[in-house]
Amino acid sequence: MGQILQFGINGLMSGAIYALIAVGIVSVFKATKVVNFAHGYLIMFGAYFYFTFAVLLPGMSWAPAWYVSWEPAWLVEMKEGLPMFSPLGAVLDWLTNLPRVIIGLIGALAANAVVGLIIERVLMRPLMGQSVFAMIMVTVGLISVMSGGAQLIWTADANYVPSLAPNTPIRFTLFDTQIFLFGTDLVNAVIAVLLFGAIVAMVQFTKGGVAIRATAEDQSTAYSMGISVPRVFARAWVLASLTGAIAGAILATRNGVSPSLGLFGFSVLAIVLMGGLDSYVGVFIAALVVGVLEAMTQWKFGGDWAGIVPYVAVLLVILVRPHGLFGQKEVERI
Amino acid sequence: MKLNRRSFLATGAAATGVIGLPAIVKAQPKEYVVAQSLPMTGPFATAGQLVSPASKMFEAITNAEGGIGGVPIRVEVEDSGYVPQRALANYQRALATEDNLVMYFGDSTGFMKLVAPELKGKNATLMGSTSFATELANPEKNPYQYVAGPTYEDQFDILLQNIANEGGSTVAFIYSNTEFGRDPLAHGRQKAEELGIEVVLEESTKAEGADIPTHVTKLAQSNAEYCILQGYVTGVWPQLIGGARQLGLQTKFMGTFWGMEKLIADRVTAEAGPFLEGYLGVMPYRYSYDQEDAPRYRTYAAFQKEHFAGTPLENYMPTWGIEALCSMEIGLEALRRVANKGLELTADNAAEELAGIQDWDSGGFFGPNVSMVSNKIGTGRVYQYSTESGLFEPRSDWLSV
Repeated sequence: MGQILQFGINGLMSGAIYALIAVGIVSVFKATKVVNFAHGYLIMFGAYFYFTFAVLLPGMSWAPAWYVSWEPAWLVEMKEGLPMFSPLGAVLDWLTNLPRVIIGLIGALAANAVVGLIIERVLMRPLMGQSVFAMIMVTVGLISVMSGGAQLIWTADANYVPSLAPNTPIRFTLFDTQIFLFGTDLVNAVIAVLLFGAIVAMVQFTKGGVAIRATAEDQSTAYSMGISVPRVFARAWVLASLTGAIAGAILATRNGVSPSLGLFGFSVLAIVLMGGLDSYVGVFIAALVVGVLEAMTQWKFGGDWAGIVPYVAVLLVILVRPHGLFGQKEVERI
Repeated sequence: MKLNRRSFLATGAAATGVIGLPAIVKAQPKEYVVAQSLPMTGPFATAGQLVSPASKMFEAITNAEGGIGGVPIRVEVEDSGYVPQRALANYQRALATEDNLVMYFGDSTGFMKLVAPELKGKNATLMGSTSFATELANPEKNPYQYVAGPTYEDQFDILLQNIANEGGSTVAFIYSNTEFGRDPLAHGRQKAEELGIEVVLEESTKAEGADIPTHVTKLAQSNAEYCILQGYVTGVWPQLIGGARQLGLQTKFMGTFWGMEKLIADRVTAEAGPFLEGYLGVMPYRYSYDQEDAPRYRTYAAFQKEHFAGTPLENYMPTWGIEALCSMEIGLEALRRVANKGLELTADNAAEELAGIQDWDSGGFFGPNVSMVSNKIGTGRVYQYSTESGLFEPRSDWLSV
């Protein structure tokens, strides 16, 4: 039983991050009916912006000392004599990076929002009123542009970034089994769930959210009711970029920064299809299910199966419910 | 004989023909071409973009030393994106467009296996690569392909022997779910059994973006004393080691060639702390900073200082670049031997000379003189990373398998 819990928790933590990645795809689809194939690359840009503000800028000669490493006297004093890899040491090490982490996150959010706005204003808005297929094709083309652009700006070097939270190990016993968790993964998962909840609440209860839902229902009617549809489009892209920035920063702390981060978007696309392209709740559940299935398969059958089993489940769900678990069934009237 | 206009022209033409024929037959080309597919984009772009300048350095130094039999070489690099089919298309294009293609450098095991059946007759070219796959070291099947060092199986042998020598009794194999990751597993299992070492875990992971907590949990439950990591380049292996250390695992981690890069180890140490202290692995070649007994490295270093100033290559050549350079130097040695014998630089002649490389002084890539046996060079040694010095330091003598 303890084992099941251990791998179940691992899976839930991965699933929460999948959900955070997926929320950007759903936001854009809900408002614009466009499946954004380039969302993984928007996340990759978020990761690179975090790397820029948290690693590259502090490395500049003009960067103030506190930005490079924050070491007040009390912190230095506390660190003295601590054994290597001690839990307290991990927290104190993280504290020295705190200014970099905060500035990195703020910088990534701001810069990625600008990227999202540019994409919407320059590439998407001129296509409004055209076939949705054309807009989807633009997002496919965007993959090459963003992937090549990132390599031109940051090169293809693999790099590493400071963790968003202290990586203190958490241990406890459950059903006579020792459970291990990584502090940083737990915090990442909590951030992902909170953000997801905030977005769902925003879409459900705010004026802007109502505008997104109205536009998703019918663009022409939304226009005629005084809703600025272009602004809704822009808002959806900014939302996707902001969640993408956080997801990018989290992925960067887990896997390092490299151009391959862009590929994560594709693996999450299947989760979005499983949950329903226009359903936040469905996608959240699907992300958790895939995360847990992956971890359980990894535990029982090994990695070769872990890459297949969850996606077989996705296929089965789509066969039974083509619009996904909670997706809205479209009625075509002739 | 009376010399009139007609007989003069006839005699002149005959004389020109007799004198000129050998030159026509043995017409030397203006240049030879060495073509490469490198992952300039895609998951291993980090490696490809660092190897590319090394290839240009190889071209410049080779030409400064007289090329091949006095003919200069030209190195042509094309991007494969680490997709074997794209690399194959690059090779076919090079065959079609380059009249004097004498050597090719491939970027993956996948490409080398894909291209192997095509290497026949005029489509054959001497071919090195980034791969240490066991299947490539088979001259009966692939006479034109070679491995510039020990195969992954050989590297596993060296590591397992090292574990046995240290008195270790349990080992875990963690590998990426790629051909590259799986290559030495069956052999490793067998070798471990021979040495009395129990393989307590075989764990497959994604090559990028692996679920670190799950893998580390399984490693912790296996209680392995040693863990060999196989099939990674820039990612996963540092995170696995970091995760294990955070959980307080005492497992000793070991890697094979592609997981032994100082640049990666340094960056991980700078951002995540001294997790990699004591990390061990097999390296077929000296690191570029170990130049005392490596004259070839000194030549490279002088070139790098002059031409790569201000770049990461100014003072250090990554192991990925060293491997590509070594592979091309081996091919060059075979081609020069063909040229010195006055033979045409065909793939068959080159393959014959390649197989004959014995007791070769590599200029310092390898410690001792080495021989090509079954189209591979089974020599390497164990290095250990020190977070304090930021260097991989030798932990064994040069071993041959």
